[in-house]
Amino acid sequence: MTAEAIAARPVPTADWVTIEDLYRNPFPIYRKMRAEAPVHWVPAVNRYMVTSYEACHTVENDQEIFSANETNSLMKRAMGHSMLRKDDPEHDVDRKSYGSVLRPKAIKEHWNAIFQANHEKYLARLKAAGPGSDLIWEYAAPYAAENLRLIMGFHNATQEDMQRWSQTMINGTGNYADDPDVWAASEKSYNEVDDAIDEILPYLRKNPDSSLLSGMTSMPIPLEAIRANMKMTIGGGLNEPRDVLGVAVWALLSHPDQLAQVLADPALFPTVFEESIRWVAPIGMYPRETTRDTVLEGVQLPKGARLGVVVGAANRDPKVFEDPESFNINRLKKPHLAFGGGNHYCAGAWVAKASVSGIALPQLFAELPKLRLDPERPAVDEGWVFRGMTALPVRWDAK
Amino acid sequence: MAKVSFHHNDGSVDVLDVDPGTSLMRAAVTNGVAGIVGECGGQAMCATCHVYVRPEYLDGLPEISEDEEEMLECTADPRDEDRSRLGCQIKAGEGFDEIEVDVPASQI
Repeated sequence: MTAEAIAARPVPTADWVTIEDLYRNPFPIYRKMRAEAPVHWVPAVNRYMVTSYEACHTVENDQEIFSANETNSLMKRAMGHSMLRKDDPEHDVDRKSYGSVLRPKAIKEHWNAIFQANHEKYLARLKAAGPGSDLIWEYAAPYAAENLRLIMGFHNATQEDMQRWSQTMINGTGNYADDPDVWAASEKSYNEVDDAIDEILPYLRKNPDSSLLSGMTSMPIPLEAIRANMKMTIGGGLNEPRDVLGVAVWALLSHPDQLAQVLADPALFPTVFEESIRWVAPIGMYPRETTRDTVLEGVQLPKGARLGVVVGAANRDPKVFEDPESFNINRLKKPHLAFGGGNHYCAGAWVAKASVSGIALPQLFAELPKLRLDPERPAVDEGWVFRGMTALPVRWDAK
Repeated sequence: MAKVSFHHNDGSVDVLDVDPGTSLMRAAVTNGVAGIVGECGGQAMCATCHVYVRPEYLDGLPEISEDEEEMLECTADPRDEDRSRLGCQIKAGEGFDEIEVDVPASQI
């Protein structure tokens, strides 16, 4: 029976959902919600959570009804009004200002050599820290941050600045509790990023390079939009490659058969990447707002409804993916929604693929013999709006 | 209206009447044509709306842009030097009133 064939029904409420449970492990919650209805009102989150693949896909492809320009958006307060909270045609102007910096040709010509150098630098750091050290904090996070710093053109900042800016502003976008300390840290980063942009733009005008900020100097784009889009990119361009890298390593180390298969055929690393972001989408939920009364996959929604598009749940919808809760690189290939879809499709998708599955994953496994989880300290996966490994202690043998 | 035919590997065909200015990708996604994904919504960013245009319809299509050229190097199924295009870059009423394309076996 199709959505049109049944009468639209009111939205069920999921008052049993708590933020604490979502943070620890959202997937059993998503499974229960999806089985009941594609959309729920969730009081703890203060949003309608959209959990089915079909409904998420519908929302992504209809910006007329499902606007990205959310009222009272915390992201606008934390980072300014970036392209991520605009609809077309305004969104399209900002998006075009990124030019071809993040596209495959530029990656091949400029960024792969930089990713390679950064990989070597932070692999040396991990090795120096020695077996038992944390792969996320000694390698994945600084690797992702340094790659992003150079792609963006922040020659006047450090990878540590990038990590601090990213995390504090992301905390601001999720500050539903209105914690003043979270706002203070977020605003401090906001001002530091603005100062860094103001300082580096004149330098890049005189010394142009292949970076995003350098490209901006010749684009007809207002400074206010540049500032907001750079903050969004600092937020969206760091955790995601870091977290897919961490989850992919954790998944392979927890599934010895699949690890053996990949080590025998390194051409499978791109498949590992895709399955890892399907299984655990680094950005699990993002907002939309209805512009009028509507029906979404058979469920009534009022105008002005604040939605959470839960791609982390859509990616485990059993209507699309067989045995969806399992990590399985041999599953039938189907398009997942981890990069979003439609006009807001992740601008950094090719950068993530090149840096993580082109360079980091194959070289980590090649250069750390018998890489394995630390039996004494467990790996920790946490989060739901953003989800990844917060601890990944690993061991390996000397070469 | 333009008539667009999507030929699938199993021999089945989806035939759509498409409004002028609407891309093959958008028409396919809206009408649930199997095998056309269109992840990026038409920005020539993802190469998941790859089609093989049948030779008799190639004349008159718009030139391949730099962005499309780049993406055609990233398709899941091999590129055909003459026939491969991105469905998002071919729009009804721009160079044809009728077109037939073959849908690749894989887009991802």
